[in-house]
Amino acid sequence: MALVLAAILAVACVVAVALPFIREPEPESDSLHELDEDERRRLELLEARDRSLAALKELEFDHRTGTISDEDYRALVGPLRREAATALRALDGEGRPTGERT
Amino acid sequence: MAELGRAALLVTLGLVMYALVAGAAGAHLGRRRLALSAQNALVAAFFSTLVASAVLLGALLRHDFSFTYVARTTSEDLPTAYTISAFWGGQEGSLLLWLLVLTGFGAAAVRLNRGWARDLIVWVVPVFAAVAVFFAFLLVAVASPFVMQAAPADGAGMTPSLQNPYMLAHPPLLYLGYVGLTVPFAFCLGALLAGRPDERWLVATRRWTLFAWTALGIGQLLGAHWAYVEVGWGGYYAWDPVENAALMPWLAATAFLHSVMVQEKRGILRVWNVLLVILAFSLSLFGTFLTRSGVVNSIHSFTQSSIGPWFLAFIALTVAISLAVVFWRLPLLRSQTRLESPVSREAAFLYNNLLLLALCLTILWGVVYPLISEAVRGEAVVLGRAYYDFFLRIFGLPLLLLMGIGPLIAWRRASFASLVTTFRWPVLAALATGAALLVLGAGSSVPGLVAYTFSAFVAATIVMEFARGTRARKALGASSWPNAFFSLLGRNRRRYGGYVVHASIVLLAVGIAGSSAFDKAADAKLRPGESMAVGDYNLRYEALDERQTSNATEIRAQLAVSRGDRDLGTLEAGKNAYTVEQQLSNEVGIRSDPLTGEDLFVITEQIDPDGTVYFRVFVKPLVNLIWIAGLVFVMGSLIALWPDAREQRRLVERTREIGLPATR
Amino acid sequence: MARKASPARLVIALSVAAVLAVFLLYTSIAGGGNPSIAPSELGTRTEKVQLAGLVVGPVRGDSHAGGLRFALRDIGGKHRTRVNVLYAGSVPDLFKVGRHIVIDGRLRNGVFVAEPGSMITKCPSKYAPKQDGGPA
Repeated sequence: MALVLAAILAVACVVAVALPFIREPEPESDSLHELDEDERRRLELLEARDRSLAALKELEFDHRTGTISDEDYRALVGPLRREAATALRALDGEGRPTGERT
Repeated sequence: MAELGRAALLVTLGLVMYALVAGAAGAHLGRRRLALSAQNALVAAFFSTLVASAVLLGALLRHDFSFTYVARTTSEDLPTAYTISAFWGGQEGSLLLWLLVLTGFGAAAVRLNRGWARDLIVWVVPVFAAVAVFFAFLLVAVASPFVMQAAPADGAGMTPSLQNPYMLAHPPLLYLGYVGLTVPFAFCLGALLAGRPDERWLVATRRWTLFAWTALGIGQLLGAHWAYVEVGWGGYYAWDPVENAALMPWLAATAFLHSVMVQEKRGILRVWNVLLVILAFSLSLFGTFLTRSGVVNSIHSFTQSSIGPWFLAFIALTVAISLAVVFWRLPLLRSQTRLESPVSREAAFLYNNLLLLALCLTILWGVVYPLISEAVRGEAVVLGRAYYDFFLRIFGLPLLLLMGIGPLIAWRRASFASLVTTFRWPVLAALATGAALLVLGAGSSVPGLVAYTFSAFVAATIVMEFARGTRARKALGASSWPNAFFSLLGRNRRRYGGYVVHASIVLLAVGIAGSSAFDKAADAKLRPGESMAVGDYNLRYEALDERQTSNATEIRAQLAVSRGDRDLGTLEAGKNAYTVEQQLSNEVGIRSDPLTGEDLFVITEQIDPDGTVYFRVFVKPLVNLIWIAGLVFVMGSLIALWPDAREQRRLVERTREIGLPATR
Repeated sequence: MARKASPARLVIALSVAAVLAVFLLYTSIAGGGNPSIAPSELGTRTEKVQLAGLVVGPVRGDSHAGGLRFALRDIGGKHRTRVNVLYAGSVPDLFKVGRHIVIDGRLRNGVFVAEPGSMITKCPSKYAPKQDGGPA
């Protein structure tokens, strides 16, 4: 009894492992979609944009709650806004990676 | 049935070995189907481990003593709950639980993140599989739970002091913590191997790390509570190597939780975070190695168990390979930005990390010192309690203070003027509290007074932050104050959940300071009718009572407790004599004061045949705050852990924007 | 623009130095702990040590009145040396003949006089393989 169950288990696992090959015996492309240079760069820009936007939002919040004084706020908001603007500009300039290159 | 269990473990070993090799090959060669196949193998490994676990659990519940493991850890009359807990009560079963949780977490982490972090996952799978190979190998070849024997009439039973609800929950929680730390480790190494040194691995594993850290923290608190009520020497932490084994990875994980915030916001401390997560993971392995191998408790190494050398070899291999990978990818890890000012939130987090690490490494030194001194001088030298207490104060008190400073300092650069305005009120509150406590007599212990004062400071900053935040949300248009409060929590879960966790640490600090710096103790030998006084309590020993239960004789001394002229009821303390196990256990009497959180703690050291009892009584102020802190801690972690739909959407959208095809 | 050295490195270096300094200060003042030795290694040493051994009977006396008397032997039984111990203070529940214990104290007039309350019994290990038999 135990051996039968063990055999079933083993077969099930082998099937699970072989599943990708069984489902697609002859795929169009077997390559892992690795990011190429442009896509990688675009991802980094997106992350930079999100990071600076989040930092701006946090600064606004801290200022509104009074954690950051008015003068600290004035000193910090300028560089942060410039950073966000740079990131956004860089993103617009990139264009979509696949195909279209303006 | 044991054959099924053994076969299932063999299948698991095969699957994870395949996942390791195929996963690495698939990731390296860029073969999609191979990588997917490896991923499936990891998920299948969880299911086959589940089968093995079911076999062991079934054997336990059936009291099948032909399984050596079952006979060794249970007996016929053991209550069902404790029979189940015997699963993780012994060496082999606990390894199986580890493997189960490991494959479970691995399968879940990989499946949940495949939507947006596929290039990471292909490398995470082989790393996870490598760790699983080690544990599966141990279970198959070195410490199998499915060894059979001629079934004896009854099993050996479980030590009475382990038959306790706290001991039910303590090991599984610790394992969720230890194994949980594998997830950020695997994602970190996976990111390095994939050549993606940025913040994605942090974001993917943030909740896992928080969850593991919470489980580890609560597991330790439960262990401390067990020691307090069950072992009953009057304390809750003895700096024993086994206790430190769980504390060290927790401290490293605490440091990691903070420094990842710095990397996410500012992009610095990349190498630091990588090294920290490797340290945390290695310490969790080291911790379980300490508990299993008996290395530091015994004078001679490795006499207790053969499992020690395997663990040590695996830890050494893990550290070596991890450091090699880090060194290889070092150029990629250089950050673009830098720390701008030593007075900034980044700097505060850095100081926090340094203090936590210093404490962690000090404890590590204390734990391995006997081994090192034996190797070098031929004699094992043991560092005592005083060593640990000293460094806990030196590093812990500044850490407490930082907890109040960090959240309120600006990022990048904070001006002196802003510091003065921000901290004016909390500093005043703290000084006032300190002065008041001094007048009330807290000057008897300087570290205790300092702890109280710092705690007041941090508590004031937390209250201030909540008040300001709620006011800001109300100004933004929330309909009522409660609504403002909840929407504040809802929109800033991480931040305010973190504040609640900080509040729990404040409670913990106050509880520890009160019960260790301001406690009172008294010893007395009493005959029935005599009294003793401790602090402002008066205890009169009334009578000795003897009762029979199913497996023990319970002897209890009845004490009448009063304070001044107020009668506070009776308290019982005594011993249990277990018939089968031929053991005595101490049953302490605890009276908790609901208003002050103070405990009256009575130990019957010795009970003479003529009814004379040697009592040892403690008054422990504020000790119950420690256990309350545990509840607040869980609450805060839950708030911070709670899934954020908005955040998830943003992550998926970002992936779509760059044109990564969605996966199945 | 010239890249200014990050203050982070300086901060970290100073902090590490500070921590090491505290550490060295402590160990030089408070000392390095007690040697943990087996009864057979005690010999005639009279400094404060930690003895780790097996309890052998007969156990006499009262730890709260006059002191508990018993003897300690090496764990592993390679050496047959016995050390007589006099102990006052709390006796852990698990204490009995055949237990492994750890105890601090010093040798005085041929008897190992223990620090009150310093006895620790090793918890019966959950993970150690069960010893068959035990001390004869």
